[in-house]
Amino acid sequence: MRDSVVGQLIWKDWQMQRVPILITIVWGAAALAIAPWGGVNNRVVGGVLFFIPLILMGHMLPLGGIGNERKKQNLAFLMSLPVSFIQYTTSKLISSLVIFLIPWVTLVSAAVLLVEVRGVVPHGSIPVLLILSLMPFLGFCLITGATLVGETEGWGIAANVLCSSTYGLAWFFMTQVPSLMVPANGAVVVWNSTELLILASEIVVSLLLLGLTYFLQSRKRDFV
Amino acid sequence: MSDLAIELSGVGKRYKYFALDNIHLKVPAGQIMGLIGPNGAGKSTTIRIMLGLVHQDSGEVRVLGHRMPTEQVAAKWDIGFASEDMRLYESMTLGWHMSFMQRIYPNWDSAYAQLLLKRFGLRADQKIKGLSHGQRVKATLLLVLARKAKLLVLDEPTTGLDPVARHEILRELTAVMAEEGRSILFSSHNTHDVEQISDQITFIDRGRIIDSMDKEMYLDRWRRLRLEVPHGVELPALPGIIGIKRDGRLAVATANAYVPDLAHAYESTGARVQRVENMTLEEIFVANVEHSREEVEA
Amino acid sequence: MYSMNGAFVISQSDKRPMYLQIMEQMKQRIAVGDWKEGQAIPSIRQLAVDLEVSVITVKRAYLELEREGVIVTQQGKGSHVASTPGLGAKLREQELEQHLEQAMRIAAMLGIQPKELEEKLREAGDRFSGNGNGKI
Repeated sequence: MRDSVVGQLIWKDWQMQRVPILITIVWGAAALAIAPWGGVNNRVVGGVLFFIPLILMGHMLPLGGIGNERKKQNLAFLMSLPVSFIQYTTSKLISSLVIFLIPWVTLVSAAVLLVEVRGVVPHGSIPVLLILSLMPFLGFCLITGATLVGETEGWGIAANVLCSSTYGLAWFFMTQVPSLMVPANGAVVVWNSTELLILASEIVVSLLLLGLTYFLQSRKRDFV
Repeated sequence: MSDLAIELSGVGKRYKYFALDNIHLKVPAGQIMGLIGPNGAGKSTTIRIMLGLVHQDSGEVRVLGHRMPTEQVAAKWDIGFASEDMRLYESMTLGWHMSFMQRIYPNWDSAYAQLLLKRFGLRADQKIKGLSHGQRVKATLLLVLARKAKLLVLDEPTTGLDPVARHEILRELTAVMAEEGRSILFSSHNTHDVEQISDQITFIDRGRIIDSMDKEMYLDRWRRLRLEVPHGVELPALPGIIGIKRDGRLAVATANAYVPDLAHAYESTGARVQRVENMTLEEIFVANVEHSREEVEA
Repeated sequence: MYSMNGAFVISQSDKRPMYLQIMEQMKQRIAVGDWKEGQAIPSIRQLAVDLEVSVITVKRAYLELEREGVIVTQQGKGSHVASTPGLGAKLREQELEQHLEQAMRIAAMLGIQPKELEEKLREAGDRFSGNGNGKI
């Protein structure tokens, strides 16, 4: 009985976010489509255009899906249903993850495939590609958590601003790390410890953020 | 199993600028309780505590036998809640919301839901954002009513509605009483509505319960005595009289514990009782709140 | 099948308590013969729903009416008009007496003596029959 209410909530979120998902996939696909043609410029443009929807998705989804729900006072309606606050949080995290991961996995796989098959950029850049792609995911976890836990819009927006401003910095720092840049220009995929370390940290931090969100939500005493 | 739909014992809640203090409240099963109080009195907070949406700092809360907020999920299966600041999803239709509720609640009565659509003048294919305020309120109440919930907890269900809409809603609320064992608690500062349909009345002001009792008994205790007082006669302070306003030879005494002896007592001082009037709940409301605030300050 | 409760109107502007209004309207029905002696009447709950008022108000009205011997409520069987023969007429007489008491009160305020009041009553009677068909 209980699971079905959580299930209904997840289904509802899916129903309401279908269009944004579609737009993201289409946009990302278009960016990937441009990249193989023409010269280097197209590659750069395609590359940038590729990451934008991922970032936008990571940021807009929590603000829109969760923040809006609170601002538009839908939360009182949801909490009138037979769910606990933790169940609500669970449904929100699951639906947000699913809704984000569907386009993310689709686009990142497509990008990797494109590199493998068409050699748009050197094959060796795949690890860096993955590292860069995980950043919006990390940002997504942070913003989702901040929006859920923070009682006002401000927190989600602050997290949003924080992530947006750090992407550029992160990209820059990465270009300064030889053990990342050297293999990136190679023709073969090379997995070294730096790459693996960074990838692992990104994943671990993301999971920690989700766990922290859960923990903070469970401590709350006033929900609406 | 107790026959109380709602029971609050010694409930307290502290906020920065406001506190609920020692709230005791009992709503017997099968009755309608009207919760009245000025704005900011604590009606909404008290209601949220009943739903487990706000965790009380002290005291016990039992709703339909369940302890709140720990057992709120079990309780909410049988509680229909609607509050003034609750909103449905703007971009979805009323029909979508109805299907949503139907999938969750086994008690959903589709036939009744359709009837309510007609009675309330709503259409299922309308998006919520296209509805007027009154229509939204009715839509939210439709979703609650069609569930045939055992207990309805409504925070200001008729506020901001035109007289026709208010009547439509009062009609459905009183119809709930046709089935024994179903209860309603609703808050309002519309005293006419409370006076008309409540079996029990509770007054709350500045975070404290002032009065809580049977409506008929309560209305019976309050009277306004219009007196003609000759010069030189001092009106005595009598038990059960909470205030006297005097203007020359005319005086009005307000009683909150009226017995016919009071009239006789005045007459024996030389004053003449012109009329003993019943008071409307609105008049009682104002007199009661003013009196209780004076007492607190004294 | 007509609605038994169609003509019940509880007025907010009527200064008297709701239960009194309900009592009066029920007595009127009996007085004019719409509700006969011994006839079944709506249950407390049903009347409350029809009138859109609280159950407790209707309960009070029924209790008072039972106390006055106008209706009878049986546990589990519902309520009905008391089977007292001539109840309708008796209620009408009560109504008349109430009006007469009211007339006495007003007369006293105006300083009119009972003898003068009697004269006025006779005059009213003449007007009454003079217009034919008992219309004033």
